[in-house]
Amino acid sequence: MSFATRTWTRMSIPARLLAIFIPLAVVLAIATVLVIVVLGGPFVDFLAANLPLVRFFVTATAVLLMTVPTAFVIIYLELKVIARMNLRIGPNRVGPWGAAMSVIHGLKVLSKEDFAPTGVDLPVFTLAPVVTYLASVMTLLVIPFAPGLFGQDLNIGVLYFFAMGGLTVVGLLMAGWSSFNKYSLLGGLRSAAQIVSYEIPLTLSAVGVVVLAGTMSMNHIVLAQSGSVFDWFVFKQPLAVIIFFIAATAEANRAPFDLTEADSEIVAGFGTEYSGMRFGFFYFAEYVNVFIVSALITTLFFGGWTAPFNWPWAYNLNWLDFSNGTLWVGIAFVALVVGTDVMAVLVRLLGGSTWSLPGTMILGFAFATVVAVGVVGLAGFIAFDWVQGLFWFMAKTYAFVFVFVWLRATLPRVRVDQLMGFAWKWLLPASLLNLFVTATAVVLLSR
Amino acid sequence: MPTQPTDDEHGQPTEPVSRSAAGVRAGAHARGGQPEAAAEVAPSPSPSPPAPAGMRTGAHARGSQRDIAAPAEPAAPAAPAAPAAATTAPPAPASSGPAASSFGSVQHGHDPEAVRARLAAMPRPSADDPRVLLDRTSDADLFEPIPPYPTRTEREAEFYSLGDGEMFLNVGPQHPATHGVLRLVLKLSGEQVVDVDPVIGYLHRGVEKICENSDYYHVIDQVDPLEYISSLFQEWAAVLTFEKLMDVQVPRRAEYIRVLTSELLRIASHSLYMGFLALDLGGITPILYGFIERDEIVEMLASVTGARMLFNYFRIGGVNGDLNHEFMSRLGDWMSRAAKETEANATLLNENEIFVRRARGVGVLDRETALRMGVTGGNLRASGVAFDVRRAHPYSVYPELQFNVPTRDEGDSLARYLIRVDEVRESIRIIDQCLHNMPDGPIMAKLPRLLRPRPGRAWGAVEGPRGMMGVYAISDGSDQPFRFRIHDPSLLNLETVPLLLPGNLLADTMAIVSSLDPVMGGVDK
Repeated sequence: MSFATRTWTRMSIPARLLAIFIPLAVVLAIATVLVIVVLGGPFVDFLAANLPLVRFFVTATAVLLMTVPTAFVIIYLELKVIARMNLRIGPNRVGPWGAAMSVIHGLKVLSKEDFAPTGVDLPVFTLAPVVTYLASVMTLLVIPFAPGLFGQDLNIGVLYFFAMGGLTVVGLLMAGWSSFNKYSLLGGLRSAAQIVSYEIPLTLSAVGVVVLAGTMSMNHIVLAQSGSVFDWFVFKQPLAVIIFFIAATAEANRAPFDLTEADSEIVAGFGTEYSGMRFGFFYFAEYVNVFIVSALITTLFFGGWTAPFNWPWAYNLNWLDFSNGTLWVGIAFVALVVGTDVMAVLVRLLGGSTWSLPGTMILGFAFATVVAVGVVGLAGFIAFDWVQGLFWFMAKTYAFVFVFVWLRATLPRVRVDQLMGFAWKWLLPASLLNLFVTATAVVLLSR
Repeated sequence: MPTQPTDDEHGQPTEPVSRSAAGVRAGAHARGGQPEAAAEVAPSPSPSPPAPAGMRTGAHARGSQRDIAAPAEPAAPAAPAAPAAATTAPPAPASSGPAASSFGSVQHGHDPEAVRARLAAMPRPSADDPRVLLDRTSDADLFEPIPPYPTRTEREAEFYSLGDGEMFLNVGPQHPATHGVLRLVLKLSGEQVVDVDPVIGYLHRGVEKICENSDYYHVIDQVDPLEYISSLFQEWAAVLTFEKLMDVQVPRRAEYIRVLTSELLRIASHSLYMGFLALDLGGITPILYGFIERDEIVEMLASVTGARMLFNYFRIGGVNGDLNHEFMSRLGDWMSRAAKETEANATLLNENEIFVRRARGVGVLDRETALRMGVTGGNLRASGVAFDVRRAHPYSVYPELQFNVPTRDEGDSLARYLIRVDEVRESIRIIDQCLHNMPDGPIMAKLPRLLRPRPGRAWGAVEGPRGMMGVYAISDGSDQPFRFRIHDPSLLNLETVPLLLPGNLLADTMAIVSSLDPVMGGVDK
């Protein structure tokens, strides 16, 4: 038996798929380059003629790539914050303050065996994490991160969001059903019941905002809140914010509503039989979901990317002459070299002889880079409104991410009947009442 | 030539099952070809604990129909005809029902030849694939309930037959939330528990028998690992019983030191209890706060006993070492903030709406049932019976100390939790009094080097964190106890689980079990 045949038989099915896909991708990439080179002019014209399509592909790729660092940051945040709340230290070995811990986690799940237990329904079992992950990622497409910085400005943005968010349950149900494990089954069915129940108050509480803004486009909802802080819908819809937050917690399967993966009851719920990167997709999807619901709360109720106050100075750096590009590159280079030296001297003075000379220089370069990024970021913050918008959006969103993490460290888990009872007996009537009052007020005031 | 044990040889069909526990099977394999040796190490059916209703032991649970054939297999090299019989036709005891039939199709022989033949016949991706595939022909059975052995009693037959829409869920012994190696086979209807079959015995060491073969001195550290998070109470029960056997007068200072150290350990145990109860309800923080309290206490005790967990501190006639400066300074340091900290930790849960709603009204153990089932300790007091060994059958210097016996009438998980909170307060009071009243004097009675009590029998019991911790010993005049029996409160408390679980949701299973505070080391002995 030849080497190739033996290797092929020992490869797992995903590895075989990759072995086909990677050469294919290389060939396609070369072909694309050739097409651009040969048919350059018509190709560019084609792209220019189909800008929405190009925009869709570019933003979809960007959004997909965005999920990985987002999940890493939130995982690290959760490890560290919960550790502090538990009077522990948390990760502190890998990288400064353990900051590379989640990257190591990611590498770990990547390098694990791709394992499926006997008896699972393999196609469904394999697709379930992908469905869950993609459902999370697709919702990111309509979130306005900053003025002009969004995937698609759909005129039914809110509707699209809830439709795609609801798809998560399909993935969890697939995982629970296909795993051939009773714990998984219970977890999957719990998640189905829970998410379907909490969709209703979640959506109804957002309808109040839609009524006020008069649009379902995320961008226009943010614009409707621009102005002062008191234009934010949180002040016009206080009840809806509370309902939305509770329902979103349940929607994202976070504590105290994390019944789908309650470790003291159903070992790991739908994820019991998953390991390696299959599990990694679920794990990523969970944290991306946290980000998404936080982003949605920010967008709908807390003004999205609008600043909480108006800046007293104008956003422009026109006094800087950017016309001579070479000069600025030279200045940046000199600044970085000087900054590295200055920082290295500081490290030497403050850190003493604990660092060797190369170590001092590397650390100085790292610090200088951080300072440079800070300075450039500040300049961008002043000069470009999208940088500023992104800053405020991320600040607000991560504030809510922190609240989700905080809840997990604080609260026990509710019971499944209490969970459903709360959704149907309290949240649903309250959200209907909120919608009724909002609609009545809008009709009366607009008359 | 041992053959398959049959009903004729052993009188009752249950015995072969019990002698084929996993450990015994391993032994038989290790000694391949020496069935006599294997038979020797097979334990006789467990003499104690008195088999409680509706509870079976792990040894039994691991037995299965194929295991019945196990003792015969080592004979394979000698008698080529035997393995075929062992793998294909095990003695099928007369049993009926769907359970037995589904079980009957799983027949994996232990004979290496047969296994090799089966592997060779299996379809595999390639000839040199190192992976071994499972036999997919029995897939249909994988999701079916497999009873651990042909059902022996009516109760088992009833349990292992499923009603409409019901399913089994095996919780433990490796479930993340069963305390130790408890196994609960739940019969579920949706998420509701219909019936439960608790399985214990995975941690059985035969400690009572070990104690009977130990000197009186050595019994103390044999009983230490029983309830491993409150070791001093087992030591105290054993020591108290031996002191009764030998009519030893314990010095007052030693008695005060015993009270002081064991009340500290009671607080440590209750701190863990509160944390684990919260953990089983999904709260991850209280357990770490509880461990902080426990860690300070065990560090304190380590400075006087030398160990953090298995102290081996009490002696017949006193204690091993006197209180030292480090202990006293640590204790003073801790006592200055103990009341405040334990209150704060308790407030974390007492005032948590989700916790209270989940613990209230679940697992209600009424007064009569609690008394009938022999429940003791905080679980009994939560059901409204003011029974505390320290007051009901006073020992040591407890009559001199002032403390209350808190009781509650609800009998639910929340009441059991709140009783522990109250007991921590009372323990702090007792420690305070001990520190004020601590007399001077010796810490050991004068005793001969070799202890040979007069023939007789004695019963001694102390109030442990989980209830009445008792020891019953018979002396025949030698230097070892002739009979040594342990009354462990965890076992009796755990016996109420089959009464408490049915009707509750799966989510409450662990909340109820956890609120009873079992420690499997003590349950399995």
